[in-house]
Amino acid sequence: MLKQEINELLTQTGPGTPMGALFRQYWMPALLADELPENDCPPVRVKLLSERLIAFRDTEGRYGLMDEFCAHRGVSLWFGRNEESGLRCTYHGWKYDVTGQCVEIPSEPDERHSSLCEKIKLTSYPLVKIGDVLWTYMGDPQATPDLPQWEFARVPAEQSYASKRWQECNWLQALEGGIDSSHVSWLHSGGLKSDPLFKGARGNTYNLADRKPFFEVAEADGGLFIGVRRNAEEGHYYWRITPWVMPAFTMIPPRGDHPIHGHFWIPIDDENCWVFSYDYHPVRPLSSEERQAMKDGHGVHNEYVPGTYRPLQNKDNDYLMDREAQKRGVTYSGVKGIAMQDASLQESMGPIVDRTKERLVSTDGGIIMARRKLWRAVEALRDEGVRPPGVDVAHQMVRSAAVVLPKDQSFVEGCGDALRVRPGEKHASV
Amino acid sequence: MQPQPTLLSSCARATTAAETRYRISCPEFTRRDSRVIALDEQAADIVRQLAGQPWSGGHFLVFESALPDDALLRPAVGGTALLSEELDGADAVVMVATAQASAEAASIIGNACAARSIMSAGLVVPGVGSVGQVVSALRPNAMVLVVLQDAGDVPELLSALRV
Repeated sequence: MLKQEINELLTQTGPGTPMGALFRQYWMPALLADELPENDCPPVRVKLLSERLIAFRDTEGRYGLMDEFCAHRGVSLWFGRNEESGLRCTYHGWKYDVTGQCVEIPSEPDERHSSLCEKIKLTSYPLVKIGDVLWTYMGDPQATPDLPQWEFARVPAEQSYASKRWQECNWLQALEGGIDSSHVSWLHSGGLKSDPLFKGARGNTYNLADRKPFFEVAEADGGLFIGVRRNAEEGHYYWRITPWVMPAFTMIPPRGDHPIHGHFWIPIDDENCWVFSYDYHPVRPLSSEERQAMKDGHGVHNEYVPGTYRPLQNKDNDYLMDREAQKRGVTYSGVKGIAMQDASLQESMGPIVDRTKERLVSTDGGIIMARRKLWRAVEALRDEGVRPPGVDVAHQMVRSAAVVLPKDQSFVEGCGDALRVRPGEKHASV
Repeated sequence: MQPQPTLLSSCARATTAAETRYRISCPEFTRRDSRVIALDEQAADIVRQLAGQPWSGGHFLVFESALPDDALLRPAVGGTALLSEELDGADAVVMVATAQASAEAASIIGNACAARSIMSAGLVVPGVGSVGQVVSALRPNAMVLVVLQDAGDVPELLSALRV
């Protein structure tokens, strides 16, 4: 249960809001690199943190992210011409470079031209390609943090895959699904047996055999480690450990030798978010079968309405609910695919869930602590200017883990270095 | 794929902000009967302070000593109570502990909760000494175990659980 004012504090991320200010401390995913595939390609509309922006890649391959609308008459630059190192408004020919600087106003007399151009600059943000993702930082340029170091984005290209989907609810209820491990034994029970990116791992048998997991939450420099234990062989527990790094990064514990996957939950506005989903293997290329399975929407990925980033199963078609599959146990909820099983339920809560009415139980400890840490960081930033956890790249060097440990061992001690990035070393997984 | 009409009961309509106005709004479900039990003297200071705040009916107690098949507790409001009596009708127990807590206290309360199918949680707050031992002691007995860096988070956790 949260008080209404705290619910609003954590769910509102537009300009001028405390939570929006917190998000503006971080580099965050803005687009997939594939969305701007070549120089002078079509520009892409992007909304982030309730700001309407346009992204483009100029003639020299530089990326730009700036105010979507021309300073002249407010026309959308989505209709613009991306040519000769700038994006030109097709209404009157005003042209902007990747920094948002106006560089041409063709209608103005030559003698006034340059001085007028200098005075016109659209709000813009840096846009940087790391891995398969284009990252932006929407905060104070004077306080720009180091570039992100997430392992999934830094391994060689053949070892990783990223996708994104539009989720039609507030970012926080989507994130909370990512740190709530107790639902896996229920909602995703069908997928553990059949999904090509999940099935076959020894850990799955523990998952399916013990539906009443115990939780342990440990604070970390960048956020939390959420450990979930289930019974394993005599004298041992099976632990699945999920790192959450503030504000919006989660990594799902691995299964066998399958790639590791996880998400970024990025606010579009207060009632929509982007879910960036990644898969990577720390020490080997993804196989062609794995990559194809990801493209086909298995694992944490999904199928799309063609030509869009909207999931094929969405609220307009009742998520293609299959009651027969539900009855037969092929899927637990009747919705196909792990990603959409989560999204369908999270969207069903409404655009922004009313947390004053919820009835949390002990297994929601991770969610309670994550909210508390967000709340504390928002206040520390707002009141004292304290840089929040997760900005420091050292906080980003985390891994999830799935291990079997003796019953008397804590998961933090038992995992040791397994919860940290170890370049060239395999992840800890059963 | 055939386009489907948006009906009154369709997800497209049911998930809108406008439709949230029609959710049944009852003031409160049946009250949760919670017990917050300090396992050691340092934790007792925290629990006694918390007891003075407005809560939803939770009892705040301190573990005193083990008894045969039971335990003696000291309610923050004064007097004594038996663990077995406190657990009658309780549906959630939150154990608050520091590094000084005994494994025996955690074990007695945790086992009593398990025997009665009562939801149990353990909050380990920072204090003098390493919390490793108390965490190990609580682990088998708490459905969720949270190791805090700041004792100031305890009231927020209890509030979230509607103590």
